[in-house]
Amino acid sequence: MNRRMIGGALALAAALLVSAVAASTSSSSPKRQSATKVVIWLQNDAKNGWEQMVTSTNDAFKAKHPGVEVDVQYQGWGDHLTKFDAALAGGTAPDVIEFGNTETTRYMAGRLLQDLSSQAKSFPNSKTWLGALKDSCTYRGKLYCVPYYAGARAVIYRKDQYKAAGVKGTPKSLAAFQAAGMKLMKRYGKQRNYSALYFPGQYWYAAMSFVYDYGGKIAEFKNGKWQGTLTSPQAIQGLTRMKSVVRALSRASKTTDEANPQQALVFSKGRVGSFIGNGWEWPYALDEKVGDPSLADKIGAYPMPSHVAGKFMPTFLGGSDVAVPVTSKNKALAYDWIRIFTSVSSMRKLATIGKQIPNSTTLSSINARNPKLAPFTNASKYSWFVPTAPNWVKVENARVLKNLVQAIVTGRQSVAKAAKSASGQITKILNQPVT
Amino acid sequence: MSRRTLGRIGWNALGLFVFLVIIFPVYWMISTAFKEGQNVLADTPQFWPHPATLSNFDDAIHRQYFWDVVRNSLIIVTVVVSLSLVLAFLAALALAKFQFYGRGAFIVLILGVQMVPLNALIIPLYIQLSRAGLVNELTGVIITYLTFVLPFTVWTLRGFMLGIPRDLEEAAMVDGSSRFGAFVRILLPLIAPGMVATSIFAFIQAWNEYLIAYVLLNDAQKQTITVWLADFTTQRGTDWGPLMAAATLTALPVVVFFLLVHQKIAAGLTAGAVRG
Amino acid sequence: MSSGPGGETGFPASAVAAAGPHVARRRPRAVGERTLHALAPYLLLAPAALVIIAVLGYPLYLVGRLSFEQFGLAELITKKGTWIGLDNYSRLFHDRQFWTVLLRTIVFTVVTVGLTMTFGTLIGLLLMKLGRFMRLLLSTGLVLVWATPVVVAVNIFRWMVDYEFGVLNWTLTELHLGDFLNKDWFADPKTGFAVIIALIVWGAIPFVAIMVYAGLSQVPAELLEAAEIDGARRWRAFKDITFPLLLPIFVILTSLSIIWDFQVFNQVWLMRGSEPEESYWLMSVYSFIEAFKLGEYGFGAAIAVVMVGIMFLATFVYLRQMIRMGETR
Repeated sequence: MNRRMIGGALALAAALLVSAVAASTSSSSPKRQSATKVVIWLQNDAKNGWEQMVTSTNDAFKAKHPGVEVDVQYQGWGDHLTKFDAALAGGTAPDVIEFGNTETTRYMAGRLLQDLSSQAKSFPNSKTWLGALKDSCTYRGKLYCVPYYAGARAVIYRKDQYKAAGVKGTPKSLAAFQAAGMKLMKRYGKQRNYSALYFPGQYWYAAMSFVYDYGGKIAEFKNGKWQGTLTSPQAIQGLTRMKSVVRALSRASKTTDEANPQQALVFSKGRVGSFIGNGWEWPYALDEKVGDPSLADKIGAYPMPSHVAGKFMPTFLGGSDVAVPVTSKNKALAYDWIRIFTSVSSMRKLATIGKQIPNSTTLSSINARNPKLAPFTNASKYSWFVPTAPNWVKVENARVLKNLVQAIVTGRQSVAKAAKSASGQITKILNQPVT
Repeated sequence: MSRRTLGRIGWNALGLFVFLVIIFPVYWMISTAFKEGQNVLADTPQFWPHPATLSNFDDAIHRQYFWDVVRNSLIIVTVVVSLSLVLAFLAALALAKFQFYGRGAFIVLILGVQMVPLNALIIPLYIQLSRAGLVNELTGVIITYLTFVLPFTVWTLRGFMLGIPRDLEEAAMVDGSSRFGAFVRILLPLIAPGMVATSIFAFIQAWNEYLIAYVLLNDAQKQTITVWLADFTTQRGTDWGPLMAAATLTALPVVVFFLLVHQKIAAGLTAGAVRG
Repeated sequence: MSSGPGGETGFPASAVAAAGPHVARRRPRAVGERTLHALAPYLLLAPAALVIIAVLGYPLYLVGRLSFEQFGLAELITKKGTWIGLDNYSRLFHDRQFWTVLLRTIVFTVVTVGLTMTFGTLIGLLLMKLGRFMRLLLSTGLVLVWATPVVVAVNIFRWMVDYEFGVLNWTLTELHLGDFLNKDWFADPKTGFAVIIALIVWGAIPFVAIMVYAGLSQVPAELLEAAEIDGARRWRAFKDITFPLLLPIFVILTSLSIIWDFQVFNQVWLMRGSEPEESYWLMSVYSFIEAFKLGEYGFGAAIAVVMVGIMFLATFVYLRQMIRMGETR
């Protein structure tokens, strides 16, 4: 190699080293933070759906605490917990964080969230919080987060198709529901991808509702141990019924879930008679950008009927909670922000603008007068929630229930066999030592 | 027609075929960007947007922070690409042209660094950067990308340097021009194709990376374009039209960059022709 | 943009040949100069090495240490894991799932790297054969593919094979290749992985093709043209001229592809809706789920360390050769 060239390269390398050292010494003066700042992580659903609730909360908060800054940072569902874990390790976690209600247990069990039990009463409506949301905030009798909002599922259906198929009114029992579905299949089933009930094979939230409807459970805590209970006669009855309904009425993919593709969009294409969906999926199906606005007059909703005539089938109550990580340096301020964020006036905005179910049973009247929301609010009165075991998330991650439902509806395994295997796995996972 | 011409036509026809096959998914992205929302997922797929609309692009550009994230991404990419090329060039020179103690260790280091799964590094990296006060700073993202891009660029440039015939380098010596002049005039053009190829690599890596940028940057106006893209997806599903429009816009700078530098590869071809 | 600096830099071949003897003559060096020459490689390496070590040194050490510790969520704050020696490793090696996932990942890597290198090299070679316009068109197409963000690419592929709306099923049915209406590509992990591998190979071809093409353009064109005219010697020309020049780049690309494909995460993760079934788990998915989903950072780190070990083994022969070989020229 030519020495001259090397010389040139060496000179360049030396210059780089010198400037790097210079840069690292000059930039080592950390910026001082003057004002107190409360950092809030909310999911971007709020930003896209009910930002007014957030801004009004911030305004009220700032009026009460002049000089305190509020910084709301919106996160996506995909990686927000990865980021949260890293931020915890780096000591820069937010003061308030939103969790999906199935995400909380792990953090409560790890003692990473501030225990709110002693001041539970200071949060608005704490006595009337929705049971399933409160459950998701409670671990071994202590409260670690505050319910934010809920989502309940009901049957969203095509009124015109029901009418054309000769179904009168909305079904009041599961048997009537199935009979109505058969009429739809008879009328429209010649179209090969038509489903009277669109029910993807991994839609376990909806499938487990059958189990709870027949009095079954996923698991229970007895004598200090968890026990998978999907093998109980009630659970088997529920799963068997689910299988017969799905196999008779649905031609949806058996290896996908309700979000891929978004079931409301499949519905908006016209080849679906009904599906079990959240309140927001109704307007989503009509969205002028992605759905079909012309269906506006043709859509209705009713709570999924129970096998006991006149009752509703329990619905899975999804939703969100807000919590304060133990690392927060502004806990008092964080609590105060949450109080304003979950106040009655904030919840009113959430219900009217965001079309969500507020966190308290006393507020259900807000949505009761809206025919597009009432069915969901009514459905939320009979709900079930996943077992609050610290290892529950492992059951979800191992996809035990998705695999169970998939094995049953595809017919790959008999109901009894699939339930036995799933239940065994659940018992095993839930009793693993908590790490 | 001679056999040669026929051969050319044959090759070009094959090239066109490969182009069409490979471009189809990209075409699907771009055509979706021009579709109206209801036609994005259609029972009969729409191969040609009809009716075509620009509203998705309008939507994407007018989203909050669009220009902020474009600026941030451009800053990050510019710094990462230029720094990595300079540093890698120097290191590759050492690896390709010298025999020295510790050479093996360095090779192991740069190969080994790439073997550690990113997932396992996130938390340790975050701890390290937050100690240095570089969380929520573009600088933190820049030096992280630099370390991810460097091993590859060093490695590849070394390969390209090994390809340079010795005589040619030595010829530079008798040329009698100034040190740096010889360096720039002779060596650089010879490894230009390698430099271009690696810079495209560095550019795309830095431009498209998502997870590190998402985890390290907090303020909405400090984020990069890929993090901003993720905002099109909520629990309610994804805004496909605007997302595809935004993704199309995101790919544009890369293509522009490529069109600017691609001739260097051809230039290398010419330079190669005179080597004997 | 400057167009082909060949004119300025070109040396007549005769001049180059004549230069030989002069180069061999060296004047005696001063001691200082000799020291500088000995130090030169270190000085040249220093900037890059320092950046890598400064940024990744401590994190790499931490990953190694974590793999010997019981380190869960609570320890994120206390930052004090419990030293448990090799427990994480023995648990890993006794985990049946680990061996299943490892085997799957190895098969996946071999197939993916093989396909990527084959198609990438062929397209790289094809680029040399094309006319000016076609070459620009194809290479721009390649760059467009390369520039497509992974998240977007995954979604496009997912649509193309979608059960309800997929263009693939629709096209196959229209072409009367069978009844693909409501064909479920992910029901069987074999066809599911075929889709995932297609996505990864598609995304990686541009990189390999452009690198190979850039490497080829270093090859003296006259020689290749001469070889092309003389058809009989075409293969020999490739073997004697092109291949040796291409070899370092080829080896680099293969080893990098192995390293990258062995760690594939995003494509599987996103393609299966952020919840891959166990039959779709690859090593990095397994590691991520243990660490971030189950809060077992120590165990997750152990998986990562084992992955690094396996990749070192896979590239060992190559590495040893690299280090041994006196490659200075």
